[in-house]
Amino acid sequence: MLTIENLHVRVDGKAILQGINLEVKAGEVHAIMGPNGSGKSTLSHVLAGREGYEVTSGSVTYAGKNLLDMPPEQRAREGVFLAFQYPVEIPGVSNIYLLKAALNAMRRHRGQSELDALDFLQLIKEKIKLVEMDEQLLYRSVNQGFSGGEKKRNEILQMAVLEPRLCILDETDSGLDIDALKVVADGVNSLRTNDRAFILVTHYQRLLNYVRPDYVHVLVHGKIAKSGDADLALELEEKGYGWIERQTAAEDAA
Amino acid sequence: MAASAEKLERLISQEYKQGFVTDLETDSLPPGLSEDVVRAISAKKDEPEFMLEWRLQAYRHWLTMKEPKWAFVHYGPIDYQAISYYSAPKEGGDKPKSLGEVDPKLLETYNKLGIPLYEQERLAGVAVDAVFDSVSVATTFKAKLAAAGVIFCSMSEAIRKYPQLVQQYLGSVVPPGDNFFAALNSAVFSDGSFVFIPKGVRCPMELSTYFRINAANTGQFERTLIIAEEHSHVSYLEGCTAPMRDENQLHAAVVELVALENAEIKYSTVQNWYPGDEEGRGGIYNFVTKRGDCRGANAKISWTQVETGSAITWKYPSVVLRGDNAIGEFYSVAVTNHRQQADTGTKMIHVGKNTRSTILSKGISAGHAQNTYRGLVKVLKGAENARNYTQCDSLLIGDKCGAHTFPYVEVRQPSARVEHEATTSKISEDQLFFCTQRGISAEDAVSMIVNGFCKQVFKELPMEFAVEAQALLGISLEGSVG
Amino acid sequence: MSAVSQYVEEYRTIGAALPGGHLPWLRELRERALTQFSAGGFPSPREEEWKYTNISTIEKKRFRPLPISEPSAAVESWLKNYELEDVWRLVLVDGRVAADRCRLDGMPDGMIVCGLAEALTKYPNLVQSHLGLAAGRENHGFIHFNTAFFSDGAFVRAPGGQALPKKPLQIIYLNSRPESLATVRNLIIVEPNAALELVETYAGADEQSYLSAAVTEVSIGENAALDLYKLQSESTKAFHFGGTYVQQARSARFRHYNFSFGGLLVRNEVHTELGHAAECLLYGLFLAFGRQHVDNHTLIHHAQPFGISREIYKGILDQRARGVFQGRIVVHQDAQKTDAEMSNRNLLLSENAEIDTKPQLEIYADDVKCGHGVTVGQLDENSVFFLQTRGIEEQAARTMLTFAFANEMVDRIRLDGLRGSVQAQLLALFSKANLHQEWL
Repeated sequence: MLTIENLHVRVDGKAILQGINLEVKAGEVHAIMGPNGSGKSTLSHVLAGREGYEVTSGSVTYAGKNLLDMPPEQRAREGVFLAFQYPVEIPGVSNIYLLKAALNAMRRHRGQSELDALDFLQLIKEKIKLVEMDEQLLYRSVNQGFSGGEKKRNEILQMAVLEPRLCILDETDSGLDIDALKVVADGVNSLRTNDRAFILVTHYQRLLNYVRPDYVHVLVHGKIAKSGDADLALELEEKGYGWIERQTAAEDAA
Repeated sequence: MAASAEKLERLISQEYKQGFVTDLETDSLPPGLSEDVVRAISAKKDEPEFMLEWRLQAYRHWLTMKEPKWAFVHYGPIDYQAISYYSAPKEGGDKPKSLGEVDPKLLETYNKLGIPLYEQERLAGVAVDAVFDSVSVATTFKAKLAAAGVIFCSMSEAIRKYPQLVQQYLGSVVPPGDNFFAALNSAVFSDGSFVFIPKGVRCPMELSTYFRINAANTGQFERTLIIAEEHSHVSYLEGCTAPMRDENQLHAAVVELVALENAEIKYSTVQNWYPGDEEGRGGIYNFVTKRGDCRGANAKISWTQVETGSAITWKYPSVVLRGDNAIGEFYSVAVTNHRQQADTGTKMIHVGKNTRSTILSKGISAGHAQNTYRGLVKVLKGAENARNYTQCDSLLIGDKCGAHTFPYVEVRQPSARVEHEATTSKISEDQLFFCTQRGISAEDAVSMIVNGFCKQVFKELPMEFAVEAQALLGISLEGSVG
Repeated sequence: MSAVSQYVEEYRTIGAALPGGHLPWLRELRERALTQFSAGGFPSPREEEWKYTNISTIEKKRFRPLPISEPSAAVESWLKNYELEDVWRLVLVDGRVAADRCRLDGMPDGMIVCGLAEALTKYPNLVQSHLGLAAGRENHGFIHFNTAFFSDGAFVRAPGGQALPKKPLQIIYLNSRPESLATVRNLIIVEPNAALELVETYAGADEQSYLSAAVTEVSIGENAALDLYKLQSESTKAFHFGGTYVQQARSARFRHYNFSFGGLLVRNEVHTELGHAAECLLYGLFLAFGRQHVDNHTLIHHAQPFGISREIYKGILDQRARGVFQGRIVVHQDAQKTDAEMSNRNLLLSENAEIDTKPQLEIYADDVKCGHGVTVGQLDENSVFFLQTRGIEEQAARTMLTFAFANEMVDRIRLDGLRGSVQAQLLALFSKANLHQEWL
């Protein structure tokens, strides 16, 4: 589904990603871990098409197409979803209106008819149960005055409604208490299907107790320093990132 | 990031769609201003002697006044002798008695603007007075209104038919010498709308005036007077457009509202005068004095305006809260783009006890435009328990525009409570990226955010105007959900 | 003869004797200022920035510049009211340094604190490079008047590149004689990386009418910091103009605390221009009773990116007093990422008091966060009620809350000794207004 080859990215002239290679197949869950500043968020932003990132070399192929050529909304309509680390507030635009505008944009893109108000509401009511979110929040401005947990649940709700094929969760687990974390994890698990893939970007192993990944990659200094299965995350938790960093340094020296 | 700022600017730029010219024979006065011109205007209108005297006094006073310079706008000197002070479509002999006799070109103009004057084609419930350059060309639904006791006609007609009312109220809110442009208007005003709602009457439909400047090198100086007697109610809408011309044209209107005890006047404006082109050539100079007087207890006056047009706007719709418990409201969206300049806001003068006012101003500035909110809240000594709440928000799009907030708060009453809040923000890249990541196009995302920003004001407009206002901002209508 | 031409006339007699007469550049500067003053006179309410303050009473009075003379014996006791412990102290009486009352021993190397007149002899080049720099942007009668007539002032240089002992400097400006004129010009230079705490106290003999027209120019170097406290306790019949004009270099930090309690007609100006990533914090508290008129005028220029400004001014007006707050924030086109907030809160305590407030934002950059808020109103009724439910009488509750409203600003003072002294003055003012404070 997604193939990243030798991806190099600069931000403000500074090299952040320095040769990422990653293959994600439908149905898989990949966790990307790494210390602060290793380039985790840069990777998710580049995949979603945020401005300000300069791809100096490498390629990203998504469902057979060159992902880097597309503007962000086209990537979204093709099924790439990014759950934001810091969900954005939009005063004056209601949550439900955003959901409707986004869903109908997707449906038009897929050649489906737009949902009428009734069908839409029914769909939302069904999805909102999944994230145990207060229905009142639908009618408030997007994320305005939401608690940290509510914002993250709101991201998962959008994911559930838009039904993407590739879900990128950028540190969605940061700053969540254990109950909210479980809700987010349950949401992710219920959306796991054979034709959908996940990239979980996270600093902590905690989330992976609830969402078991197929692969774990450790990002250090803009490169994937080590890959493994779910056990790698446990090992990291025990030994800390310093362990990998030292290992990489030793390899570089050799 | 400069790239996204440019993109944003492109997204909000729209062509001016009302810029066509109607080719008509006109009856115009040659350019220039003198006592003779004032007399000529008065004579053309068949006015009674008191009106001519009133105009001449205003003119003589105007000669002693200086053009105000304190507003945050810049423009070259205006040559008041180069303007024609009267222009009207030529009529064959008598005035048209019915719409059937009105020049078809005029009717077509209003059709093109989306304001059909035939009553059956109009949405039921809105009566229209159409003012074309210096004269009112048609007023619809007069008969139905008359049955309710409501007078809705052109100002010229009112001066002829209801001289006592005019004499009693004209200039009682905005005196002829109030300010430079009001004095000029008082001397040369050509037409406008007159509304009288008698005691206890709730006006059965929305009243609306559509102002159109057509002729070149003319100024438009309309005068509107609305009187709501005790326990009456009226909602009045005003729309404005003009052709695209390279020269600036002057529009100096005066609007006076009088609300007696327990009366309510709601005055809504969608102003879309030609704003000039991208380089700032042409456009209307919109120097307008609008003031309402809550003369009786419990009276309420509410101004709602959506302003997207004019090269320069200088306008402060105000409310004098004279009666006890009177209420004044001001809701405004002002959009400036390219080289437009707007210095606009309101004045709330609290005189009576327990008077309340609310000000909600939303300014959007893009391109090289300068958008200034200037507002005064004044609480006089006797205004016990007066309350004001003001909120002014500015939205900046692009890095070459300016947004300014100049509130004046003057309080002489210890029991008063005045609150003012202002914020300035921009459409952030985060917001835009977030929306596009959810599959919404950048255009729609900007529309959505701008609409969200203006929502509180749009909801004060009558439904039909709200649709027009949103269309004006290139915004799809929200609200069908939820 | 008008007041303006009388002053111009006066200059012809005393001009030559003013300090720095031996310096051609200064003579020229004074002459130029005199020409501007004689053409424009004192500011008038027709000017937008003076809209709410009419200073014609100052023009009607004829204040005289004083010849040098021995300060009266009473000076000693008045000074006692304001002197802080554990500070370096510079004292000016009637517009001139009173050397025997200063305490400037044990200052670190490179630090200069002296009278401006002395500095013009000892460090003319240093003075020349700073005089008229920060105030040069300003253009009104009081500035020109001060430039033409200043008789002395404070000259302070805090050297950079070394840790200064943490000891504040206090400058006291005392006016001892009726109908006199004190025009002081102060120059404060904080060199890069230096930090200075400075307390300015303006005071005068009780019940005397005089004009104190002070201009303070401040330059804060890169990454340097200045905490400037101004305590205005002039006599209740005095006229006070005090303008503070500041230039902040890259990453410079400026905190200004403006306590305005005295004076009959007062105008405080605090203007600053922020360099790249500079920060400023303007706090103000003004109290006015009787027929006092207090006008606070602040101006913050965000000229460079990443600047931060915070401003809070509070006013309490009782009896027939009138308060004015005019605050202006200008964000220039290059000043992206500016973060500015301004707030002005006022309490009117009497039917005859008045407040006029005009907080302005002028913004030419798009990526900024700016906000301002104003309130005029009464005490929070909920709080009054809460105190009543706890057994406090309504009137006492109101007094308590009014005092708390003001004291909140006093609490922000970072110098313990000064905080105590300002609080004592605040309490004294409350008793003047028939407010009691047994509960404290």
